[in-house]
Amino acid sequence: MMQAATYATAALVFAIGLYGVISNHDMIKICVSLSVMESSLVLVLVALAFREGGAAPIMDTDAVRYVDPLPHALSLTAIVIGAGVISLALGLTVMVYRHYGTTDIRRVFGVRR
Amino acid sequence: MTTRAYAVAIAAVAAAGLGYVLLSYAVTDGALLPVAARYVTDGVRDTASINIVSGVLLDYRAFDTLGEATVILAAVAAVSALFSGSTIGTDSHGAGLLVQRSVSYLAGFFWLFPVYIIANGHLSPGGGFQGGVSLAVLIVLLNVVFGTRVGSQRIGVKHLHWAESLSAAAFIAIGAVGIVQGGGFLANLSAGFPAGSPGSLISAGAIPLLNLVIGVKVASGLASIFYDLISGDRVAP
Amino acid sequence: MLEVAFVLLLVLLVVTALGAVLIRGYITSIIVLSVFSVVTTVIFAFLQAVDVAMAEAVIGAGLMTAIFVTAVSRTQKVRRDRKERSL
Repeated sequence: MMQAATYATAALVFAIGLYGVISNHDMIKICVSLSVMESSLVLVLVALAFREGGAAPIMDTDAVRYVDPLPHALSLTAIVIGAGVISLALGLTVMVYRHYGTTDIRRVFGVRR
Repeated sequence: MTTRAYAVAIAAVAAAGLGYVLLSYAVTDGALLPVAARYVTDGVRDTASINIVSGVLLDYRAFDTLGEATVILAAVAAVSALFSGSTIGTDSHGAGLLVQRSVSYLAGFFWLFPVYIIANGHLSPGGGFQGGVSLAVLIVLLNVVFGTRVGSQRIGVKHLHWAESLSAAAFIAIGAVGIVQGGGFLANLSAGFPAGSPGSLISAGAIPLLNLVIGVKVASGLASIFYDLISGDRVAP
Repeated sequence: MLEVAFVLLLVLLVVTALGAVLIRGYITSIIVLSVFSVVTTVIFAFLQAVDVAMAEAVIGAGLMTAIFVTAVSRTQKVRRDRKERSL
């Protein structure tokens, strides 16, 4: 039950982040939305690893079932890489602001509306 | 926002939702997959690390971790290249006197947390990534509280770049020990690193070393990204 | 009982995600994003992913908030008339 609910929530959160990426015109808000999307992906990986009644993969207990340690390792690297990538995106945003004086992508790309 | 953008958004959302539903059907509940079962049953014997996630990250799949560290190095290099023309402003005075005094008394205790997390990475939740990021957060805290003048003199960008490069080299050097010993790149116990008794602080062969190297690398990388972001002033276009 | 708490956390996750994406102000949005990360951390702990929970707590709630706020402070108009006290 917990797994299915987490999948559904992750889908919803991914959709929210995607909506934010599409609908926002401000680069910092796009970075925030990207961060939300990335968290939803990690949520899927962790839900994938969950087993009903499993213990955390630390081998100092006498549990009979453990959750899957492999997606944990992968999502750990995914989180750290996501932090680096979003920092790079924010650095680009700051440079765009220095160059154009705005972080609104419509004005940066000269879109008239 | 136009109707077309709405349509794109709705279509993409529907596709994403459908993909998630299919994914949730594809997963079978219950037993672990064969690879994961192998990690869980033989992990302590193979890696001598109590924390199986650390064992997977730094022994079974250490090469992937090296690639991940390379991605961080690339991100840091890109941000440094972006901000290469600007210097750190020294006009920030930090927080008020009360905050500065209390943080200066507590800073020693703050350092304990990342050191504990990194040193116990093979025994308890945590490891190089978590401890390294909390070290980076500490550097950010020192800069916010004491101002960038003091902060960037104590821990400068040059130091961070050296730490980043040296830890990347150290990771590869630890991996090369495996080749010299005849166990393959980044081999752990098969390369003759002492296993110790699983559960004690000095155990698990190269995993604590790799945790330390990863911690220094992540901390210096993310902190130097922070320094790059605060550097410079707004220049006229 | 535990299931009820878990579902409440999931609802809170959706609400904070909506808030982070939809709120107009920069700083408010970033703080809500930090709360979102904390809720994600608790969900990871529920799902027995302790390592991932710790990483998300340190990165999402700690480092990313600092970096976002730094980027926001670097993309505002610089006020020349008074001395800056913050970053």
